[in-house]
Amino acid sequence: MKELSLNILDIAENSVKAGASEVKISLEETDETLKITVSDNGCGMKEDFLKSVTDPFTTTRTTRKVGLGIPLFKMEAEQTGGSLSIESRHVELYPENHGTTTSALFYKNHIDFIPLGDVISSLVVLIQGSPDIRWRYTHTLPHGEVSLDTDELREVLGDVPLSAPEVLSWISEYLGEQYAEAGA
Amino acid sequence: MTAGGIIEECGFKALCLPFPDRNVSGCYIGDLLSWVMGRAESDNVWVTIMSNINTVAVASLSDVSLVVLAEGVTLDGEVLRAAEEKGINVASSPDASFETASKLFGKV
Repeated sequence: MKELSLNILDIAENSVKAGASEVKISLEETDETLKITVSDNGCGMKEDFLKSVTDPFTTTRTTRKVGLGIPLFKMEAEQTGGSLSIESRHVELYPENHGTTTSALFYKNHIDFIPLGDVISSLVVLIQGSPDIRWRYTHTLPHGEVSLDTDELREVLGDVPLSAPEVLSWISEYLGEQYAEAGA
Repeated sequence: MTAGGIIEECGFKALCLPFPDRNVSGCYIGDLLSWVMGRAESDNVWVTIMSNINTVAVASLSDVSLVVLAEGVTLDGEVLRAAEEKGINVASSPDASFETASKLFGKV
């Protein structure tokens, strides 16, 4: 994809499909690296399916459960010298603490590093599409941090849904201001 | 023209040709796989320098009739096996994408 923010959107959509009630998106960024982690409390994957998710053929055409999202994300990380890892606990084996964590490491100075792009828009799309999920976002930058927790917003908003247009545009501005302060 | 005919006329090297008689119509050139996925059309010949397993997946999804790997790129064993298994025609061209496309021009 042309921007890593689109991959984040895609991976987080898997969490939504897995029935998660809480999704954590964390970006840890240094001058050299960017680590993107999406972790959820969804139903998780069984071991044999987990092994197959980085193979584009188990998922395309016939079943299309995950799509090419993970294989492409993995390729994009590896082409910068980085890597991708997925850990998952299936609900049948872990009724209390099931979920999936997908983590990708990128080396930013590699010529094939794809820019992060408009991550704010990706978040707004995710919140708009699934306003009942608790979205927790943190982006640690070399000189600051950006964060958002939709449960904190919900306390303030009361009955106003998170998907209301004025709330979404407020979220967008709020994140934009934090990025300006963090020097990004 | 057919995939086999294109390979012969353009001087490409067949790497995997399970369906030599498949009709080829139109051409798409690109290396960003997610981009190609949404734009290459069925029966196209697709010119690219990308030769990993995802190339085969995108070729299968977009239903192109022939993948031409430019700049002399070839397939390694595992990817070749996947192409054979999925019935994807793949050939290699010694030239860069532009020169490869110029050979295809007028034939597809």
